[in-house]
Amino acid sequence: METRLYIPPSPNTPEVDFDFAARRLCLRGESYPESAVGFYHEILQRTRDFLGGLEEDEIHVVIELRYFNSSSTKMLFNLVDELNTAARAGNSITLDWYHDPEDDTMLEFGQELADDFPEIHFRAIPVENT
Amino acid sequence: MNQYLSDCDEHRACIIRNQGLVFYYVGYFSQNIINAIGDAVRLRLECSETPGGLRRKIFSIFIEMAQNIVHYSSDQLTPETDHDHEMRAGSVCITQESGRFLIICKNPVTTEWAQQLRQELEALRVMSVDQIRQSYREQLRREAPEHSKGAGLGLLTIARDSSGPIEYALEPDPRGDVLFTLKATL
Repeated sequence: METRLYIPPSPNTPEVDFDFAARRLCLRGESYPESAVGFYHEILQRTRDFLGGLEEDEIHVVIELRYFNSSSTKMLFNLVDELNTAARAGNSITLDWYHDPEDDTMLEFGQELADDFPEIHFRAIPVENT
Repeated sequence: MNQYLSDCDEHRACIIRNQGLVFYYVGYFSQNIINAIGDAVRLRLECSETPGGLRRKIFSIFIEMAQNIVHYSSDQLTPETDHDHEMRAGSVCITQESGRFLIICKNPVTTEWAQQLRQELEALRVMSVDQIRQSYREQLRREAPEHSKGAGLGLLTIARDSSGPIEYALEPDPRGDVLFTLKATL
């Protein structure tokens, strides 16, 4: 099994640090690439492969995005959908959803994910603006 | 480039007369240009007394409009077959008038695309806030439409983040295409 997927941040894409060996997946920063499908395709594929090989494991996911555009929203939804599939297969998934307390859109989308995918342990964590 | 992109029908909100201008850009848009002017828009809003939630909505509408220009303007420098590193022409204006923010974009589109836009925007215009949210939730769970280069959520996002109905115009472009204007109010 591969151990790590790392993509450094750019002005419009997040830092992707998926440490598969440590069972810790982090997305941090901005997400508004020209093509979200292009950017997230490989990330989703490798995450799916990783999750498919797990059994009764514990995975910690951290999503700390300042802003994501409409097509990235769809890709995040698909990512959490993959996590939910792994949770239903018997794994324990914790998702820490960091959001700006002034940003209703971000919190509402997180809550929607929590409602849609109840088998994921969802924690909404407010962060102060820098 | 299409000279009609810089024509402004919003005379009261016009760049030359208005003190409330936040940002105006006319010319070719690429993702790199969006990154750079996105920084300027954010900083300009942060330096004003605009609350964080409102700033985020203005920025969101700005990005969706600018990326629509990169994806769908019919005035393009890059070949039709390119789906990355595209460069296409349009304009985006963010201005403040009587305490409200107006975000207006303009770009030429093909006749076929104008029909597609009219259909989607007419449907959006008659929806209530709750219906827009519901439609957004449904589209999020559906496959992206074939004609979309994203998730088919761009116009829904603009409508969701606006505080009133979005307005649009599709006018004959003297250069042969259709000139598309979209206005969001916050």
